[in-house]
Amino acid sequence: MRRVIDGRDLLPPEPLELTLAALDQLTEGDDLLLLLNCRPAPLFGILRRHGYFWDECAQGDGSFEITIRKGIVGEQ
Amino acid sequence: MPADLSFEQAPPISVPLRFFLSAPIFGVVAGALLSWWGADVVTSRWLGETLALTHLLVAGFMLQAMTGALFQFLPVAAGCNIARPMLVAATVHPLLAAAALLLPLGLAGGIAIALRVAAALFLFAVAIVVVATGRALLRTPAQGATVLALRLAVGGLAITVLLGTALADGLAGHRSWPLVDLTSIHVAWGLGGWALVLLAGVSYFVVPMFQLTPPYPPRFARWLPLLLLAVLLVWSLQLIVPIPQQLVLICGMALAGAFSATTLWLQQRRRRRIRDPVFWFFRLAMSCLLAAALLAAGVALLPALHDEASVAWILGVLLIPGVFVSAINGMLYKIVPFISWLHLQRLALPGTPVPNILDLLPGSAMRAQMILHLLAMVLLLMSAVWPSIVTLAGVAFATSSAWLGVNLSRAVWRYVRARGRIGASERGR
Repeated sequence: MRRVIDGRDLLPPEPLELTLAALDQLTEGDDLLLLLNCRPAPLFGILRRHGYFWDECAQGDGSFEITIRKGIVGEQ
Repeated sequence: MPADLSFEQAPPISVPLRFFLSAPIFGVVAGALLSWWGADVVTSRWLGETLALTHLLVAGFMLQAMTGALFQFLPVAAGCNIARPMLVAATVHPLLAAAALLLPLGLAGGIAIALRVAAALFLFAVAIVVVATGRALLRTPAQGATVLALRLAVGGLAITVLLGTALADGLAGHRSWPLVDLTSIHVAWGLGGWALVLLAGVSYFVVPMFQLTPPYPPRFARWLPLLLLAVLLVWSLQLIVPIPQQLVLICGMALAGAFSATTLWLQQRRRRRIRDPVFWFFRLAMSCLLAAALLAAGVALLPALHDEASVAWILGVLLIPGVFVSAINGMLYKIVPFISWLHLQRLALPGTPVPNILDLLPGSAMRAQMILHLLAMVLLLMSAVWPSIVTLAGVAFATSSAWLGVNLSRAVWRYVRARGRIGASERGR
């Protein structure tokens, strides 16, 4: 299942707050798509520390799409 | 495109916080002394007391906050960090604070030794800041208008302090410098080359991000600091050759006015109707900048106004408490809870509750202090016409600064308590 958070018109740190709340409910096999105006480096540190994986894709209009999924035990 | 928010490289939170928490103290001292000295300070910009108050704000309040912001902002906006930030901050912070107290003492009391020691301390501390931040800024691969503005601002700070040292030397009776010309160049580099260029560079980054505006037009953002630099270089030539002062002043004010008008225009085009205190503080700062630019250009065109003490007072109030104290006040309300919240998020395990930003610094506390700051501004401006009001204006400004300090300290205290709770909860798992 995919959940989408469009943070492009949200005031920082609302996108990060929503993302962290959504991560708590993310199960293996699900993914979370973030749409943001900037590359969220603080989030990456938190994801790395807690074993999540992500792909990022810069868009032509300067925004970013970040796809996050939960790490599977043993996966690196 | 907004730059990368490279928070992972950010310095320990205590590095910027020590500067941010110290800044309001200088505002309290300046307001209290203004109230104590009373109407005389309105009568001339050259009085020792007036110069002392000015430097409590520019070399105390502003320099503390802007140095802390620079340390915090380099990794965020320029993708670089200063080497050994704890050591640099621990060295620079007390030196700058001591210098910013000694300088007004020397200026108001005519104490030569205080002027000389303050100048030496500023020179040493700012040299460390310039080398530490300049090295990082020259090495970063990041490009763009914000990085360019930060580089020029650091250069502007160095020139301001060198000129200030020469002035202190002259006032202490050591050399016979052309003090009036040197002062006007020192003021231009301090308010224009350092403070305004830094404000522009920071605004390019934070206004679109925190106020959800479109980005600054790229060409405008890149050319503004370069053109300001060109104006300042021509302005500085007055030390050696005659220059068309009125024309150069009008060019500088046109650039400052263009920056404020662009920021106000971007605020009008924000994607959400945000009206938080940060938005209003920025709106106040940019309105004051536009008013100051128009007034200064008017003074350049009407020489009869040039020697009017009340005009100099209004310009000073618009530029220093109006533009820079307002913008810094707003930015501190955004930065301090934001970095506190981010540090808590980094420490907490998933599922551990972390207070949100408004728990750390409630909007009601910020709004109440903002209204007092606005009142202080109105009273300070009215003092140009009714100088006796300045006592009340000083009380309002001191109280507003104290309230800012209390609000920031409370946010930091809540951060420390939350950090303790998170630590205890992690240990309990």
